[in-house]
Amino acid sequence: MKMMSEPKTVLIIDDDSDYVRAIQALLESSGYKVRSASNGRDGLQLAKTLEPDLVLLDVMMSERTEGFFVLQEMRRIPALTDTPVIVVSSIYSDEPAFRVDPEAGWLPASLFLAKPMEPARLLAEAKRLTTKPSDSSAVAAGGRSL
Amino acid sequence: MPISEQDNVIFVIDDDEIIRRSCEQILQKSGYRVETFGNGYEGIERLKQVRPPLLVVDIKMPELDGFEVIKIVRNIDPDLVIVVITGYATIETAVDAMKMGAYDFIPKPFTPSELRLIIDRGCERWRLAKEAKLLRKQKAEVERKFVTLVSHQLKGPLGAVKQYLDVLLYTCHDQLPGETREWIIRSQARIAEMISLIQDWLMLAKLDRGALCDCGASSDLGQIVEGVLEEYRQLPSAAKIELSAEMAPGLAPACGDAVSLNMLVENLVSNAVKYNKPGGKVAVRAKADDEWITLEVRDTGVGIPPSFRSHLFEEFYRAKTTETQNIPGTGLGLVICKKIVDELGGSIEVDSKEGEYTIFTVRLPIAERRQEDQGIHGS
Repeated sequence: MKMMSEPKTVLIIDDDSDYVRAIQALLESSGYKVRSASNGRDGLQLAKTLEPDLVLLDVMMSERTEGFFVLQEMRRIPALTDTPVIVVSSIYSDEPAFRVDPEAGWLPASLFLAKPMEPARLLAEAKRLTTKPSDSSAVAAGGRSL
Repeated sequence: MPISEQDNVIFVIDDDEIIRRSCEQILQKSGYRVETFGNGYEGIERLKQVRPPLLVVDIKMPELDGFEVIKIVRNIDPDLVIVVITGYATIETAVDAMKMGAYDFIPKPFTPSELRLIIDRGCERWRLAKEAKLLRKQKAEVERKFVTLVSHQLKGPLGAVKQYLDVLLYTCHDQLPGETREWIIRSQARIAEMISLIQDWLMLAKLDRGALCDCGASSDLGQIVEGVLEEYRQLPSAAKIELSAEMAPGLAPACGDAVSLNMLVENLVSNAVKYNKPGGKVAVRAKADDEWITLEVRDTGVGIPPSFRSHLFEEFYRAKTTETQNIPGTGLGLVICKKIVDELGGSIEVDSKEGEYTIFTVRLPIAERRQEDQGIHGS
């Protein structure tokens, strides 16, 4: 279990390197530790080893539904089932039509944000999603807002 | 009854049997199929099932005269080419008929070749007009597809640039000299304009594809209006403006899904706020009668000069006067409104007095009524 004094880690999975740079700088300036991957496969690998406190995932990278599948796969990994995920997109301005089927036992993403996003908003949501009660078995605060 | 377009059928409406017979014989020899009718009513009824390219109609008939037939028929099929038969070859009646929409006239008595010549020319005109219409439609589709493609491609890069600027301003705000900050803010604004334009454009493309409005759905307009007004009351740009709603109690549900109707109301309210004067008002009213819901968005703003009004619903049209030239906007907001309204089977109109007010009046079908009309079709 992470100690409260350790910085929270954010994993960004996104193929737009400019976007990654900008958001990484923003999150780091607020004290987060940030790692990134530019495709789904590397992203999943990194997620397994890192067990981040938050994931920022682009829904569409090189392929139409790449982000969606990454999310599915992530949820299959026991350590990552509860990880807060912010799904982002530059193409969609509202939440994209596909959703992970809750019946299938996968948890949906925690939030959708359209790119480009307001820095203050991202930081507020990141804080909300990564702040959990110290009891590790409790459900993440803020829960599922979808 | 399915409506079939048959490009070699000619309709002849004349109370004189001899004229009907001779037209039939003459034109059949030229390879046309001919349907004849002794009075206007019969011809009009048949027109609802078959769309011929051309109608020959006598001006002087006992029951429904030629002028009346022309009036009715042009509403049913605006593409129909009409040739009138005039009895006394008086120029006046012929000219009157053409002013009403007839393509040509043929004076009695006429020779077979005179008739054939006029009919052939009329049919050719019909064919060319149809072709031109199709080409225009295809051209518009190609243009729209192209711009949509480009817009998609632009969205990513523009988003990335804005993201850099947003983060830059947020993280380095206090370290930057005033003017640098100002330049960044201006850059953000210009990019936001572009992103807005792209979003509006993509929305229009979606509307055109029919992928947006759901005519089978019904929505509570009252809720939608309140939602939009609440949102706008929070905006700094609407700080000095009074936003109010007067919804008739127990308003029937409107035809359309919440997303489209929200967009419609939002665009109208956005304009009403943008083009208003400080201390001005925006009032939204809605009431319903048996068939329609009438929604009115009224502002006490700068108004729209009469010359601009006919262009208001055109793409990228911005009514620019000295007062309004600095107001940001994509010029697509009203086009989007019009398309949504058209798609839902309603109408939109504007009334305005320069320097005083502008009122947009939208009529939308009531949801239950629409479903009744569609019968089994339903939702």
